[in-house]
Amino acid sequence: MITSFLLKSFDRTVIVAVGIILGLGLLIPALNLLTAPDHPLHVPTYLVSLFGKYLTYALLALALDLVWGFCGILSLGHAAFFALGGYAMGMYLMRQIGARGSYGNPLLPDFMVFLNWKELPWFWYGFDMFWFAALMVVLVPGLLAFVFGWFAFRSRVNGVYLSIITQAMTFALLLAFFRNDMGFGGNNGLTDFKDILGFNIQADGTRAALFAASAVALAAALVMTSGMVRSKYGKILVGVRDAESRTRFLGYRVEHFKLFAFTVSAMMAGVAGALYVPQVGIINPGEFEPGNSIEVVIWTAVGGRGTLIGPIIGAILVNGGKSIFTAAFPEFWLFALGGLFVLVTLFLPRGIVGTAQAWRAKRKEYRKAADDEAVKGMAAAEPLAAE
Amino acid sequence: MLTRLAYRSFQSLLVTFCLLITVFATDLRAQDDLRAMVDALGEGSFAKTVEQVEALARTGDPKIVPALEALAAGDLYQRNSDKQVFLTRTAGGTLTLVDPLTGEEVGTEAASALTKIRVNNSLRRAVRTALGGLTLMSPDAGVRLQAAQTMLRSPSADALEQVETALAAETNANVKPVLERARAAALLVSDRPDDEKKAAVAVIGNAGGQDALSLLSAALASADDNLRPDIEAAISSIKERQALWSVGQNVWYGLSLGSVLLLAAIGLAITFGVMGIINMAHGEMVMLGAYTTFVVQEVIRTSFPGLFDWSLAIALPLAFLVTGAVGLAIERGVIRFLYGRPLETLLATWGISLILQQAVRSIFGPTNREVGNPSWMSGAFELGGLTVTWNRLWIIVFALAVFTALLFLLKKTPMGLQMRAVTQNRRMASSMGIRTPWVDALTFALGSGIAGIAGVALSQIDNVSPNLGQGYIIDSFMVVVFGGVGNLWGTLVGAFTLGILNKFLEPYAGAVLGKILVLVLIILFIQKRPRGLFALKGRAVEA
Amino acid sequence: MNDKKPTSLLYLDGVSVSFDGFKALNSLSFVIEPGELRAIIGPNGAGKTTMMDIITGKTRPDSGDVFFKGDIDLTRRDEAEIAQLGIGRKFQKPTVFESHTVWDNLELALNRRRGVFAALFYRMTAEDEARIEEILSTVRLSNRRNDLAASLSHGQKQWLEIGMLLAQEPELLLVDEPVAGMTDAETAETALLLKEIARTRSVVVVEHDMGFIRELGVKVTCLAEGSVLAEGSIDFVSADQKVIENYLGR
Repeated sequence: MITSFLLKSFDRTVIVAVGIILGLGLLIPALNLLTAPDHPLHVPTYLVSLFGKYLTYALLALALDLVWGFCGILSLGHAAFFALGGYAMGMYLMRQIGARGSYGNPLLPDFMVFLNWKELPWFWYGFDMFWFAALMVVLVPGLLAFVFGWFAFRSRVNGVYLSIITQAMTFALLLAFFRNDMGFGGNNGLTDFKDILGFNIQADGTRAALFAASAVALAAALVMTSGMVRSKYGKILVGVRDAESRTRFLGYRVEHFKLFAFTVSAMMAGVAGALYVPQVGIINPGEFEPGNSIEVVIWTAVGGRGTLIGPIIGAILVNGGKSIFTAAFPEFWLFALGGLFVLVTLFLPRGIVGTAQAWRAKRKEYRKAADDEAVKGMAAAEPLAAE
Repeated sequence: MLTRLAYRSFQSLLVTFCLLITVFATDLRAQDDLRAMVDALGEGSFAKTVEQVEALARTGDPKIVPALEALAAGDLYQRNSDKQVFLTRTAGGTLTLVDPLTGEEVGTEAASALTKIRVNNSLRRAVRTALGGLTLMSPDAGVRLQAAQTMLRSPSADALEQVETALAAETNANVKPVLERARAAALLVSDRPDDEKKAAVAVIGNAGGQDALSLLSAALASADDNLRPDIEAAISSIKERQALWSVGQNVWYGLSLGSVLLLAAIGLAITFGVMGIINMAHGEMVMLGAYTTFVVQEVIRTSFPGLFDWSLAIALPLAFLVTGAVGLAIERGVIRFLYGRPLETLLATWGISLILQQAVRSIFGPTNREVGNPSWMSGAFELGGLTVTWNRLWIIVFALAVFTALLFLLKKTPMGLQMRAVTQNRRMASSMGIRTPWVDALTFALGSGIAGIAGVALSQIDNVSPNLGQGYIIDSFMVVVFGGVGNLWGTLVGAFTLGILNKFLEPYAGAVLGKILVLVLIILFIQKRPRGLFALKGRAVEA
Repeated sequence: MNDKKPTSLLYLDGVSVSFDGFKALNSLSFVIEPGELRAIIGPNGAGKTTMMDIITGKTRPDSGDVFFKGDIDLTRRDEAEIAQLGIGRKFQKPTVFESHTVWDNLELALNRRRGVFAALFYRMTAEDEARIEEILSTVRLSNRRNDLAASLSHGQKQWLEIGMLLAQEPELLLVDEPVAGMTDAETAETALLLKEIARTRSVVVVEHDMGFIRELGVKVTCLAEGSVLAEGSIDFVSADQKVIENYLGR
């Protein structure tokens, strides 16, 4: 009873959430573009980009939730997938600069000219085409996750061990991308973008369109994830989370189920990174920082892991809080973030949404029990009245 | 043969005698003669001056060294009025005159009253040779050693006889081999017969080292066919030895890195390995230990400067107490509510690490703080072809000592017994009257305290900043996971294996790529042996 | 020996395995015939659970043969494959999907295609629904179908797990201590349930409860220190001197 109720409200929640996200995707660009700057409802462009950034973070958190919340895999590698998607997009944007760079080289990005490189490395080929870059945005993180996961899940690396080696993977990538001779701009990363698909990346219209694109991507990811977790596949995923060996002895190849979720999740993270880069205007190796991955985990935890809208709410709340906090008391932000980690794990393990759901379910049960009680009372009272 | 030997001993006696005379019996008359010779430096052409320098050198008197040095540096002047020669020091528009032999100030003179004694390159060379020869005769063994080393680096055929004279007189065991090499080096560039040169090649070849290599390479360029094979053989033998020593050096660097990894990981081997707690704040415990050292040194610097060499000994117990207490507070305040939920522990301790970092940043500032090396940890010594720094050596010793102490604590003390009992079977231990919550708290405090004393040691070789711990946390987890969880020996072997592996990869791949390779290798290794190098096997592990 | 292989359902010969020098199984051999219900008893550490681990592919033996249905070598297959071959396993501690409903638990256990994409695009058919209803009534959980498995009592969880094994439609069922922690009434019902199940498939029950085994009334194998101590009817085995010494106590 409880579950069927939850399932129904689940449907409704997702529909409402998709509606809100898409509505915002229309409303905020409209308020930015169609109102005068002094209008009380006007949304300045910097806020459009800021909110757009939150939406990509929400997408990243949703991706993590798919593996952590529903499958119990605490990946500390999602910052890497995010950054890889971001780099793929950044490479496209670098190629779009063309001859407008400081050195005016039509083929080579500035940093390569600076390093005295004579020709474009092979892995930069094709990134002048948007479709190719877009493909790489999902393919590169997906492939990395697939190969990594194939090894890890096959050898049954579980729990904290998996967390630790995903962290090691991220750290190795961080070190690699810091190297100049990797061909990704080293320390400085990729920046000074000019155009995306022929539109000026700084223009209000482009910013608004990027925001709308982020909203659409998030909504689509939400619908897809919801479909996944509500299918039999999703139930098996939860089964793996709660009783892995039972799933195995029922004849499911647990490693395949995990691998599929991990790969899809990495691809979602890649898309998030690709939408993030044009809105913040830079991608550098700092995005691989192991701390970033753990921060994604706390967004998800705050919102409620194992729920679909929890990570979205968590990502927006924590990052909104971070924006306000770092502006007001910059030196206390780390205290606040650290405290959040401790308090949420101790007192709110199910997160905001999870706790609300449990509370509602309990109230419902209580009501039902009260109703039963009343019916019984009436049944008991009737014979008395008859007598 | 006998007569030759007799002659040689007579010669050395004679030289010793002469030296004795020059050193002890220099009287005023000799001084006057010298004075005249120094004055003669101001006369005539460059060629004349060269002759004069050589004449001075033949006196073998160390007193003329300042004058010759000043000549080469262009600080030697002749007084126009009486043609006397002086060293000078500039003082405003005038020059202070210094007696070239006694070093006493003898008055001032306007610059116009003096003429600078000009030098050219051949004169400088003559001075250098003369100086080399003179200092070779110095009564101070240190000066002689230095002179011999100078001659070795820039050998000249002209100095050969001087070197041979000095060699015959030399009795100091430290100076003599260097002199022998210097002689061989000079002989190689002289026009002596080939068989003597062959012996010289052998002497230099046996000495080895980078200097010998460049000497021999230079000689090879001008050597005739008779000598060439000898030189080539000597060069390749030096290169072989160098390769061997560089392997040794790599092993040493690897051991050193391994000891650092061991120190960083050993506390984690307790908290993660024994208790199964993912303590992401472990690095911050190391950092707190390092800051404790900083505070101790600050107090010593301001209040008890004499105790500086004891600063580490004082910091060790303090760091253990400070970080142990912080660990105790973390366990009682947070972790004990999270047993059985390792992933949540990871998140909570990460939060704690952020708080500790920011706290230290707020108190001590974000920049690196200066932590000094006590005198017994500074400097280095040579061991064959190895350069061994004292601080690295002490850290290896210290890491092993901590390891041994911990092993002893776990295996031989009641506390260790209780710890092992609780980790093996919590319910059984508690029903036998062990207060498991206390054992948990103390074990965690112990792990943290060890991280703290690791911080004391690491403050000696790393930057003490709020980010210190971040640099160690991933490496530490790698070591523990690689070595096998729950096994101290695994941590030891893991730390040194990874350290040496890293240092052997570095020359080929570079520091960063080497590290990346090691990470990738560990990830692959965990696929093969998910429970690490020394894993427990069986049913209990799966539970 | 070889002539026995084709007819027997499960065939273990000379199986040994050791953990860090401790011999958990020491040349264990026995045979289960199709349609047989067999009880296995033995003291703690006799190797009962390790034996199940080996049959279901969780542990690899150091030496020895394990064949299913005559010629399928189980030592070379993993858990999922062995489960798909038709061997079901019930754990000592009831293991069900606590955050799913009873219905979902059975749905997941249903013997359908096990691939990722098959699961992703699975649609419940009327046939599947009928099968789940049937199992629900067999394990007496029809009225709790929409409740979370976590809210079931201990005994009900045991039954749900047995129900899940039935949904898996195995030819061989391995059941580890099914009545541990059950009330007497529940124990009696479980015995009936197992006997009912054994009509259509082979069942191996590991149990400590001698009363329960007597109730089952089947052939008993007693294990001790990793090998077979005695085999036969319950009266024969419980009269065996070695069994009394090792397990039942004097």
